[in-house]
This record gives sequence, C-alpha cells and structure tokens, in this order.
Amino acid sequence: MNAALLSLSLPLLAALLLVLLRPARSGLCVILMSAASLTAAAFALQQAISLAPQLLQIGGWETPLAIRFQLTPLTALLMVFTAGLHLLVALYAARSPHATGNEDYWPLSCLLHASLVALWLSADLFNLYVTLELLSLCAVALVALAGRKAYRPAFNYLMLSLAGSLAYLFGVALFYGRYGVLDVLVLAELTEADNTTRLALLLMSVGLMLKAALWPLHLWLPPAHSGAPTAVSALLSALVVKGPIYILWLIWSQIAPPELGRQAGFLFAGAGILALISGGWSALRAPRLKMLVAYSTVAQLGYALLALGLLLHWQEPRMEAALWLFILAHGLAKVSMFLAAGELQRVLGTRRVRALKGASQNMPVAMATFAVAGGSLIGLPPSGGFLAKWLLLQPLFEQPQHWPWAFGVLLGTLMSAAYVFRVVALGFDRARPNPPSVKPDPVAQWLAMLPALLVLSLALISEPLLLWLGGVAR
Amino acid sequence: MNWTHWLPLAIVLSSLVPGLLIFTLHEDQHRLRVTLNLCGVVIKLLLVVAMIYGVSKGLEFRFSLPFLPGAPLVLQGDALSLLFVALSSVLWLATTIYAIGYLENSPLQSRFFGYFSLCVSATVGLALAGNLVSFLLFYEMLTLATFPLVVHRGTPEALRAGRVYLAYTVGGGALVLMGVALLHGLAGGQDFQPGGYLLPAVGEHDLALRVAFVLLVAGLGVKAALLPLHGWLPKAMVAPAPVSALLHAVAVVKAGAFGIIRVVYDVYGAEAMGQLDMAGPLLWLAAATILYGSMRALQQQELKKRLAYSTISQVSYVTLGVALLGPIAAVGGLVHLVHQGLMKVTLFYCAGNFAETLGIHRVREMDGVGRRMPLTMTAFSIGALGMIGIPPIAGFVSKWALGMGALEVGQDWVLLVLMGSALLNAGYFLPLLWRGWFAEPADWHEDNWREERWETHWMLLLPAVFTAFLSVLVGVLAGTALSPLGWAQLIVNRKFEI
Repeated sequence: MNAALLSLSLPLLAALLLVLLRPARSGLCVILMSAASLTAAAFALQQAISLAPQLLQIGGWETPLAIRFQLTPLTALLMVFTAGLHLLVALYAARSPHATGNEDYWPLSCLLHASLVALWLSADLFNLYVTLELLSLCAVALVALAGRKAYRPAFNYLMLSLAGSLAYLFGVALFYGRYGVLDVLVLAELTEADNTTRLALLLMSVGLMLKAALWPLHLWLPPAHSGAPTAVSALLSALVVKGPIYILWLIWSQIAPPELGRQAGFLFAGAGILALISGGWSALRAPRLKMLVAYSTVAQLGYALLALGLLLHWQEPRMEAALWLFILAHGLAKVSMFLAAGELQRVLGTRRVRALKGASQNMPVAMATFAVAGGSLIGLPPSGGFLAKWLLLQPLFEQPQHWPWAFGVLLGTLMSAAYVFRVVALGFDRARPNPPSVKPDPVAQWLAMLPALLVLSLALISEPLLLWLGGVAR
Repeated sequence: MNWTHWLPLAIVLSSLVPGLLIFTLHEDQHRLRVTLNLCGVVIKLLLVVAMIYGVSKGLEFRFSLPFLPGAPLVLQGDALSLLFVALSSVLWLATTIYAIGYLENSPLQSRFFGYFSLCVSATVGLALAGNLVSFLLFYEMLTLATFPLVVHRGTPEALRAGRVYLAYTVGGGALVLMGVALLHGLAGGQDFQPGGYLLPAVGEHDLALRVAFVLLVAGLGVKAALLPLHGWLPKAMVAPAPVSALLHAVAVVKAGAFGIIRVVYDVYGAEAMGQLDMAGPLLWLAAATILYGSMRALQQQELKKRLAYSTISQVSYVTLGVALLGPIAAVGGLVHLVHQGLMKVTLFYCAGNFAETLGIHRVREMDGVGRRMPLTMTAFSIGALGMIGIPPIAGFVSKWALGMGALEVGQDWVLLVLMGSALLNAGYFLPLLWRGWFAEPADWHEDNWREERWETHWMLLLPAVFTAFLSVLVGVLAGTALSPLGWAQLIVNRKFEI
C-alpha cells in the first residue's frame, strides 16, 4: 500500500512544487517524477499480486464511517498504465514545446495524474465523486491551454461535465439516503433491486456516460479533444475518459444487483455497437485530422461499452479481461495517434486530412506511427487491440444465439479499418504531395512511435497481463 | 532448444531483418541495399535447403512462443509448408534481381525493397505457421505489407487500386479472424494435423463448423481470388511489374490458395469435409472461377489485365484439386501451386520487359515483338504454352494429375471444365504468340537497341529466362523424387497415409 501511496503523492507533490518554484526545466522534472511514480506503481502491482487485496482506512476510522482506499491487481495495473502514459506523453511534450500550449501544462498534467491515481484507489462513492470532479477540472483547464479558439469547447466541456457530476452526486445522495453507507464493498452486500436503487443507478450512469463521452452522450468530446493542444488531446483520450468508465464498471459490477445488471447490460452493449458504427462513420467523414482521431475515440469506447454490457448481461466474468484490455490498448494506441497527428499537423502546416498527401515520403515515421496505432484500433494481430477483441469474441462464439453480437464487432472492425486507411492511403499519394512547411523533427516522431510499438507487442505479453487481470480468459 | 527449434524462426527472420534494415537506408546507398537484399535471399535459400534435407530425413522442426491464451505462436516445417517456402524463396531471388533492374534510378527504393522483404517474410511466415492463430497473424501482415507496394507509384489510379485492394483484403482478414476465433472456441488452438483435428466435433457442432468453414473460405478466397471476391486482382495490375509478380505468383494469391489447402486438409480433414458436405460447393465455386476467369481473360485487350484474369482462373486449379478430396487430385492441386507460380511469374516478367523496353501495354502492340526481343518472347511462349497445358512444360503435369484425380473420385464432369479451360487458355494465349512471332513488326518509337548488348537490361532478362527454364525443368523431371511433383506426392502420402 505504501508504494501505491507514493505513486499517488509524487505527482501531487510535483504539481505543487512546479507551481511554487517555477523551475526552468519543468519538462525534465515531470519526466523524472512520472518515472518514479511508474516505479512505485510497479512495486504496488507486484505487492498486489503476491498479497491479497489491501485496504487502507484513511484517518484510522472504522467502516462504515471510514473513507477507504483499496489496492487490487486491477487498480495497481491502472496506476502503472496512468504513470506510464504520463511518462510517454511527457517525453514527447518536453521535446516539442508546441504540443503543450504553455508552461502551465506541466503542473496541470501532474495534478491530472494524481487525481486519476486517487480515483483508481478510491473505494467509496463520495470519494470517487471528489476525484472525478478534480479530474474534470484539470482536464478543462488543460483544454483551455490551447488559447482563445479552445475556450468554447472547453466551456461546453465544463458545463456538461458539471451536469454529469451533478447527476452522479444525486445518485450518490440517493444511495446514502437508502442504505446509509457509501463504501463500495459494504454497499455491494446491501443493495436490493428497488426503485430508489434503480433511480440512483440511472442517474449515476447518465452522469458517468456524459463524462466518459459514451454514445449517445459523446457530442462534446470531438471538439474538446481536437481543439486541445496535442499532448493534452493524448492525455484526455487515453486517460481522462477512462476514469468515469472505471466508476461505471465499479457500480454496475460490484454494487448493482445482478438482475438489474442483466437489463442494463443489454442497453450498454447495444449502445456500444451503435457507438462503434456512428463514431466510425463520423471519423470517416471528418475533414480534420485531430477530429478524426477524436471520433475514433468515441468509436473505440464502444468496444469497452460492449464488453461492459455483455459482462453484465450474461454475468460473464471473462468479459472483464476484454474490457480492461480494450482500455489499456486504446490508451496506448490513442496516445501515439494523437501525437503523430499533432506532429503531422504542425509540420505540414494545416489541420486538414487532405493535406496528408504524400506524407509517407516526407514524414515516414509519423505516418508509420499512425498506421501502427491504427492497426491496434482495427484489431490486427499481434497488437493489444487484437488481444482484446479475441477475448471478447471467445465467449460470443460459444452459443449460436450470441453470434449477432459478433457481427457488430465485425462491423466495428471494418469501420475502424476504413477511417485508419483513409489517412494511411493518402500518405502514399505521390502525384500531388503536400510539402512540409517546417523541417520535420525525427526525434519527436520516434517518441510518438514508442507507445505504438508497446501496444503492437502487447499480445506477446498476454500471459502476465491476463494473470494481472485475473487470468479469467482461459 | 537446438537447431531444429530455431530454424523456422531463422527462415522468417532472414528476410525480416534485412527488410527492417533497408527501411533505415538513404536513397543513395544503392550498393548496401542490394547487398543486404541478396544476403537475405542467399541465407534464406541455404536455410530452406537445410530444412528440406531435414524434413526428407524425417526431422521435426517446431518453434513456439506464448501468444494468445491457449494458442501459442507456432512456426513449424512440414512437407507442405516447405513446398510453399521453397517456391517463394526461389521466386524471391528472381524477383529481387528483376526489381533491382526494374527500379534502377527510380525514387523511394528503400521503401519499396523494405516492404518487399516484409511481404516475403509474411509469406514465409504463413507457410511455416503451425496453427490457425499464427497463420492469421502472418496473413494480416501480408495484407499490410503489400498495400504500399500496390500504391508504390502514388498516382491517383494506383491509389484507387490500393483502396480496392484494402477493402477486399482487410474485409477478408476480418472474416478469417472470425472463423479462427469460432474454431478456437470449439477445438482450442491446436496445431495443424495431417487429417485435421475437427472430426470429434462433427455431429455436435455442425452449424458452427459450417459457418466457420464459410467464413474461412470467404476470407481466404479474397486473396485466392475466388469468384465473387476476385475484383481487386485485375485492378491491382497498375502496380509495377515486380509487384505484379509478387501478387500473382510469389505471395498474395498463393497465400489464399495455401490457406485453403491448410484449412481443408489440416484443420477439417477430408473425412470431416465429407461428412459436413462442404467440399461440393467449394468444388463448384472453383470450377466456376476457372471458366469465368478464362472467359474474362479472352475479352481483355490490355496485356497485364489478360494475365490477371488468367491468374484468377489458374489459381482456382489449386482449390479445385483440394476440393476433390482425393489423393491424386490433391497432388495435382499442390503441384499446381508451384507450377502456376513459375509460369505466371515468367509471363509477368516478360510483360514487364515489353512495357519497360518498348512501351507495349496492349495486345495489338505486340506485333512482331519476337524479332526485336527473341529471348523474352521465347520465355513468354514457354509460360503461355505451359498455361495451356502443352507437355513437357510444368502446366501439363498438374492438369494431368488433376484430371486423373477427378476420374479417381468419380467427378467426371471436372474433365470437361479442364478441357474447356484449356481451350479458352489457348484462345487467349495463342493469338499473343502469333502476333509476337509472325505478325509484321510495328514501329517502336525511341528504340535504339542496336547499341546495347542484350535486347533489354540483363537484370530484367535473366529472371525471365531463369523461371522459364525452371518451368520446363520441373515438367521434364516430374518423375524424380526431388521435383515438385515428387514432393507433392510425399506430402499427400503423409496426409492420406497411404
């Protein structure tokens, strides 16, 4: 537990120090800090695997009064994921100042890191609310770093995010009124399928879906994510939207009574398929590159939603591994994709997709990055996206009456292939190439490539990964 | 952990590593690039020879790596995989030399040769793959590595062809994934086995097995250009000639046909295929594709398009031989995998030579070309006559075996298909030969060949002559044990255990 707390306090401390001291080389400090936090998280993961899940009563109070932190292999893995992605983005951002907006990026990104780690650790509905709120505020501030043109998307994001928080808070209040406790583990044993619980779950789900931009509540996401500075877009798509999804999973798989889960699961899964199709379609039509990548986030979250829905609908524990692998693989792939898109857009001097003509001659590494990350989004072997899809398909194929869902997955695969190759194919246009307006930076392109290479080889470490995720998918 | 363990991996790496290194080279490092390429080719050939020796002595080669839960990444060398590996390695040698000559002084060569090596690695990988999941991995890799080659010229036309190619092959890949995942749920991630491993599931899971078969054949049929899924192949002929050779003979369509062989014999097995009634429809589909491809070829006025439709027809001979489910027909199908490759690659080299040297793209421009380029035209004639099935060239051997195989299993109507197709082949190849050898020469503009030593660049000429020679050689030597026919016999004996 100590390692986990260290992993949480390091970014928090770094954020405060960066604001107070304003050092000249903030980038380097953040890189060192996130590397340290990553190491601590890795220790925590190792502990969580070897020991039983650990609980920490903050302030020494007993349950039900206490606020508790919980460390399980999953939370530890998510902490590793958060610190690792923050490190990868920081490496790129330190190299390319244009990607951050301005110097305020560094403390804000550390704060975001800290609030996300706190979110993974929390095992209490109100505590989750607090961390979620912190996370959203950091995210809004980061979007606004892009300057005047990003104010409107940032403001919309703020308003919708507050509405989502409010809905979630109402749900929490209803739970408290009905059961008198908010601790997740205690609630899990108390809940009954009555109308108060239903309403509370509905309110919380709507709030969380709004915050996670899950279909059909996703409309704020593309402008906010595409308008933000490049490094921020990467953090938002890879990490921030994952927080509310975690809470959604927590309340439905742990707290909600199974009979409610069965009904809601069907709706979630249906929304997931629709997200895949509508998000994919919008990405295919998007005129601007970062908009395309942002819509692809909407589509890819559909996979997570589908896995969550089927997990609840059939009470199928194997879906859990698929759900978290989608989250991990999407995070890594999306970081690479946004960084590559930002790099392409800076060097080619325009935001349009059409401007990418001939980019695989001028900027081969950035284009290859986009393609490799896209390969994981499509689900091509041996990437992490492929592994996740494989785990999703296994239970689907067991009974013929479940096969229509597999058709949905097939459709989603083809949609994502269509929008990824829309970009990649343009890169090979030699007839009317668009020359670079500034000199390409090979180091930055390779830094963008790093997460893509990681996700590409994710299936090769599937054994330890599945062990950490509970080893359920045999 | 000895050499029988590492050899399959080494064969894949022997082209993968040079390919990745070539990507990092600058355009002007011409000599280094050629050296790397040729080193890879030579090392691969030596390794393949070592493996052929080992397999003929009964050694087992198997490399495995943990990959998916319950399905490791397996590379193994059995007789069938070696047939394909040997073919693609030899043709890789020829095509590399051809491509070096063809692309001389053109831009973006590092990119081209890098992807070229990746393509060959993927092909060899899928030939050596020991289970369906490993096969899928390399099958998708092949799709991705080929796309940049198809669009290499970067013209709007090439990009259109590339998009069509992707739409077909990525869709096909997704179907294969579905089929593989479905079978994995039924039978686990087992290794390929002679005689298949799905027989125990027949009777209980018939629906799932049939659906999986349809998914797999549809997905593989895209690359093998089976009838409704062939549309990408004629479009892709806008690619440079070495790429066409790669698509038609070395890698892509062969990968599809090879996959069908694997699925029918080593996953389902002849007995399960018979009980599920899936062979009949496949046989009809193959027969229809053979006739359709030939008929469309007859209508084409563009040389490369005519060859492309001819490929659609000829590759389906392989599927036909497989779907007949008899040992002799199987020999015919397997050996045609090699024979068609040799002959078709010769034809594409020659077509490329005509286009590069004299600017000939259409059939009617071929008048009298034999007087100007006798060696190329001779090679072309050998390839064309072999396709029609004139002895002693390779094509005759495979058609003979297919015919005998059809009679053996009592499907006499297949003979009519074979004869009809041979007539159609003659119908679209003989006019080319007549024009080339006997028609009055046309005027070739800007032709100053008398100053050169050979009729065209020697690097373009040599591969064509080499593969034409091989097509005759494997036909003449068909009776010996080391010929493709002898090797196919060995494979079939092991599979049918006669």
